[in-house]
Amino acid sequence: MNENFEDELRRRLRAVDAPGGFTERLMAALPVEKNPTVVAFIPKAARPARQFGVPAALAASLLGAVLFGMHVANDRSLREEQEGIAASQQLMQALRVTSQKLDLAYEAVNNPPTAGDEENRS
Amino acid sequence: MNARVVLTLVALLSAGPAWAQSKGQLRIPEFSTLAEKASETVNVTLDGNILGMGCRFLNSANPEEAKAKKLCTSLTGIYVRHYSFDTDYAYPKSDIDGVKRQLNAPGWSPIVEARSRKENTNVNVFVLIQGDKAQGLAIIASEPREFTIVNIVGNIDLEQLHDLEGSLGVPELGIETGKKPAPAKPPAPVKAPAPEKTK
Repeated sequence: MNENFEDELRRRLRAVDAPGGFTERLMAALPVEKNPTVVAFIPKAARPARQFGVPAALAASLLGAVLFGMHVANDRSLREEQEGIAASQQLMQALRVTSQKLDLAYEAVNNPPTAGDEENRS
Repeated sequence: MNARVVLTLVALLSAGPAWAQSKGQLRIPEFSTLAEKASETVNVTLDGNILGMGCRFLNSANPEEAKAKKLCTSLTGIYVRHYSFDTDYAYPKSDIDGVKRQLNAPGWSPIVEARSRKENTNVNVFVLIQGDKAQGLAIIASEPREFTIVNIVGNIDLEQLHDLEGSLGVPELGIETGKKPAPAKPPAPVKAPAPEKTK
């Protein structure tokens, strides 16, 4: 009984060649191959640069403008100071010349004319 | 018709600088050719903002500059032309006479006229009185080898000018600074021959 069962099992489980045209039928039964979907991958490290790029550029521009403004203001202040010092020196020079000529007039008014000068009086 | 328009425009344009001049300001020639011949030149033109700037930059800690600062705040213009030459009469007297003629205008009064034939020196001091205030000062001094034109424009505070006496080489002129207002017409000019130069 047991021997018959074993023989029967061996017979049933023996290797059998596939029927003709099996491979073609199997391949035909498979679904049509689709093009693979391309998924864009944005690296995480690149995101902050793009995210803060515009504000950073604006901040840099603002800083540049402030620095340029400070430079212009400094330059103007320095130029004004130089002009002011030059003007004050001119002013003092003008007052000195004025005082010299007033001195001449003063001497003429206060020194009484001598007899020799009387002849020269206009 | 066109000629009339052109003439009118020319007349208006030529009158322009006269309008632009403030009272008390003289038309002083440029003397550009003289500057080349002169051995020493002082050419100062301070008006408007430049004068104000110069005033601000005077050092209050320096007594002379402090007095000058007090004086110049009420001024609107200071013009000085001073030329020295190595030879006698290297400058045209006609230019000086041209400036002197402007002082015949109403308001200008001579306060000092000093002339020495011996030294050929002339010093004339004029003030422009408007209302009760001096609005301009002009000094014209000519010597054989130098001439000077000074024109100070603005509210000339005689009291402050008096304060300046004794410093900056300004002599004690005996300027009256009494409380009573200055007369509209100053007294007759003092005529005196210029004494021998001590310098």
